[in-house]
Amino acid sequence: MGNPYKPRVPRKFIGGYRPRIDGFDKASGKVKFADDLTTKLTFPDMLYARVLKSPYPHARIKHLDTTEVEKLEGVRAILTYEDPEVKKLKVTNAGWTDGVDILSYDRMMWYPMRDRRVIGDWARWVGDEVGLVVAADSESIAEEALKLAKIEWEIFPFVLDPIESMKPEAPLVHPELRETNVLPEDPVGGPDVFVEKGDVNKGFSEADVVVESKAVHHNPNQGSLDNWCCLVEWKGDMLTVWSNSYEAHQTRMHMSQMLDLPLSNVRVICSYVGGQFGRNDTGEQPFFLYTAILAKRTGRPVKFRHNNRESFLNSRQPAIYTARAGTKKDGTITAMTFKCIGNAGAYADQTMFALKFGPAEIAEVALAHVPNLKMEAYGVYTNKLPACMMRGVANSQFNLSFGQIVDILAEELDMDPIDLAIKNFGHEEESLPNKSLVEVLHEGARRIGWENRHKPGEGQVYGHVRKRGMGFSFHPGWHAEWQETRRGRIQVRLMLNPDGTVMLEAPTVETGSGSNTCNFLGCLEALSFLAVRPEDVHYSQVVDTETSLRDCVQTDSSVAYLQSEAMMVAAADLKKKICELAAPKLDAKPEELDIEEGNIFVKASPDKQMEVKIWLMEETDLAPIVATVHRVPLDLNTGIPFIATFAEVEVDTDTGEVDVLKLVVLHDCGTVMHASGAEAQQLGGQVMGLGEALYEEIIYDEVRGVPMNFNWIDYKIATMADFPPVDPVLMEVWKGGGEYGACGIGESTLTCTPRAVLNAIYNAIDVRVDELPVKPEKILKALGKI
Amino acid sequence: MSQKKNTSSERDNPMKDAVSRAIKLRVNRVWHEFVLERDVQPTETLAYVLRERLGFTGLKVSCDEGACGACTVIMDGKAILSCMTLAVEADGHDILTIEGLAEDDPVIAAFAEQSEPGYGTAMQCGYCTPGFVMTAKALLDANPTPTLDEVKEALSGNICRCGCYTAVAQAVLHASQKISTQGGTHG
Repeated sequence: MGNPYKPRVPRKFIGGYRPRIDGFDKASGKVKFADDLTTKLTFPDMLYARVLKSPYPHARIKHLDTTEVEKLEGVRAILTYEDPEVKKLKVTNAGWTDGVDILSYDRMMWYPMRDRRVIGDWARWVGDEVGLVVAADSESIAEEALKLAKIEWEIFPFVLDPIESMKPEAPLVHPELRETNVLPEDPVGGPDVFVEKGDVNKGFSEADVVVESKAVHHNPNQGSLDNWCCLVEWKGDMLTVWSNSYEAHQTRMHMSQMLDLPLSNVRVICSYVGGQFGRNDTGEQPFFLYTAILAKRTGRPVKFRHNNRESFLNSRQPAIYTARAGTKKDGTITAMTFKCIGNAGAYADQTMFALKFGPAEIAEVALAHVPNLKMEAYGVYTNKLPACMMRGVANSQFNLSFGQIVDILAEELDMDPIDLAIKNFGHEEESLPNKSLVEVLHEGARRIGWENRHKPGEGQVYGHVRKRGMGFSFHPGWHAEWQETRRGRIQVRLMLNPDGTVMLEAPTVETGSGSNTCNFLGCLEALSFLAVRPEDVHYSQVVDTETSLRDCVQTDSSVAYLQSEAMMVAAADLKKKICELAAPKLDAKPEELDIEEGNIFVKASPDKQMEVKIWLMEETDLAPIVATVHRVPLDLNTGIPFIATFAEVEVDTDTGEVDVLKLVVLHDCGTVMHASGAEAQQLGGQVMGLGEALYEEIIYDEVRGVPMNFNWIDYKIATMADFPPVDPVLMEVWKGGGEYGACGIGESTLTCTPRAVLNAIYNAIDVRVDELPVKPEKILKALGKI
Repeated sequence: MSQKKNTSSERDNPMKDAVSRAIKLRVNRVWHEFVLERDVQPTETLAYVLRERLGFTGLKVSCDEGACGACTVIMDGKAILSCMTLAVEADGHDILTIEGLAEDDPVIAAFAEQSEPGYGTAMQCGYCTPGFVMTAKALLDANPTPTLDEVKEALSGNICRCGCYTAVAQAVLHASQKISTQGGTHG
């Protein structure tokens, strides 16, 4: 470790190794998260809401008697599926958007999949919120109250396995909507066969070698420590929500649309969030609504907070991928097919994003030179927890299959998989080889010691039973060229105070991703003509829809550069405004002036100059100068950067345990915005990447349909003791549009890890284990030892 | 139903007052007194009382069952999980929360400043950070010059989902150096 990257363009602020701007506040516990802002001390009259969770995987409430609930002292309000405020709520979806844009009810992305009744009478998974919510003086009273409800259930057969669920005889998860458990055609991602290029049959017939593969991804949980919560308070018809949701303006839209309130009557305050990781919180979860209704009914602030066990309320989407690929003897790929079956769980939400939207983009940017290509996907309802959004949605599942078939194909051809990858994969606008891919893979090979890689299973044996192996996987960086144009205008504001200090407004909910530090550095860089110092900039990290511009949503790993790009435009506007204000004083036209190092001067006679902040303080009306920008992101054909992970593992063939010896994590970033933050992502992502590969697993009792380990004792998250040496490698090969032309990396830090580890395991023991997570028993089974 | 006879009705039982007693917690060098069953319930955890009744929100309640370490505080010099400790168990004890550390505490400074190449930053979202800082502080108070393995051993009860383990370990080693230079931690 400790190989600092060399920036392509040295800059004063952007790109350096430096602490986070919130480092001290976070290290000293001064940062206030939503749960910290909504304590009993702050809201002494607040009530606590608890919701009934279904104990059955598939059941309906036939009758609910709340007589005993009402008698319990401390219970202040009871809301059931039969109440008019609940009944009139529209059937909805907990994913109106994929977390990029703001969308209304009518314009929600996956409108055919409106499948959620807010606390309805029908339960479709163990843990489903159903039928009854109670507000009480304490959480324990509310919890006790739920137990006093007399519920008569009608219990239905259930299905957990997606393949079983696709069969005609399977019990229907949503009989009110569909006569099959297969989800309807996707209005966003297209038909079931969503990519069909050339003629794959012809392509396979022309191939010298054809291989097939199967890879199964599972449903790891996002595992945010900051359990999802909200507190709702009404003042007349004005509603205020404190939440740790990451999309403040979409939460406002959701509340407004579902509760029939003008947008101006809904105020959403999102403070710091303790880890987001794609948790399915674009803001449309039912708990916001029933908490609001209970607060209205009682006239008191009401808080709802999932506990840690309830925070297992969605996961990554488990995917069964099968792939086929054909090549000429020289490694030229003639055809590829990918087929995916995704287990959506009980509700569709953004399922189709994982299945089609993401992979379709990969086809454009990485598989563009495969002449014959077919991709198809099916989303399936089951009675498991809903599954879709998690850090690196779609990409993680696809990479598990993609990196596998490349490895298999290379072995079949007796070719280095690095050479095979470079020969075939790249962007549609570019000729091969892709420069970024070449440099990323060659640097990774150098750092892991790829030249020492042996043939599968033929390496040295350590201590009689331990075998080592190396593997890698690679992937395109996403959304780099179109810079999230669907997101709409990026809003930022720079306000120059007369004393030279700056109020930066670049609203985005601080989830830990590090974009706040990037924005801060971006502001300093953009205002370098004013010689602004770090201590001069004030940047609020709390988004409040009452005063904030539209928040740039913390998704798609793109906020690190989107707002900084907009700040460059805002800074130019600010400079123009200063020149206009100073022109009479300097007896020149505004366009004849320039500003450098905090001094404004006449370009033709630079001795005619003055220090901006001294002039502002001593001679102006002291009003701040403001530049507000609404910038549409660039959409240029710039090609795409690549990322890769290389792994070296040691497998104990007696116990089946896998020890990761080293990971090399490489990202072509375009421009590194904040090196320490970027490396923190590269390192930190491996907790999830390795967790998905080796440790983490939601386990169901298949007989009863009950999840067994919704807790962090039995659901294993890696700790410091489990964490291997990781070499983070930042690169600047590709460049996108704009000043920085950067590409986000936060999500992609774990995309390639499971496949890199699995390929390394294969290289060690010469047997493939293709189902995540690779726990010791799967290794032993593959080795024929159990 | 028998379940109906709950804690809240017991709370109003006048007979209870006869046996009620006070508990005292010394938090960040200040004593706080609570009358049991009036100010604090016997079922309330130390974490709950510190956060909801005293406003020390630096510690976090995440798993609330001893798995994550986010609620770590120092009691009588030892790092403990405040979600697994009842407030009544802390009666008469000396508790240090992150709010009780000095602004220039070397552990806080080391976590805040961590940024050298190859390690990343010592936090991202920062939700687990106060727990790590307090665990690290208790370690350094007991062992001012730990080895990397000792750091890993001491801090492996804390979960950082953002995964900043490499930098956290490095920050603890830096804090150790700061303490050697400055001669002792504060608080």
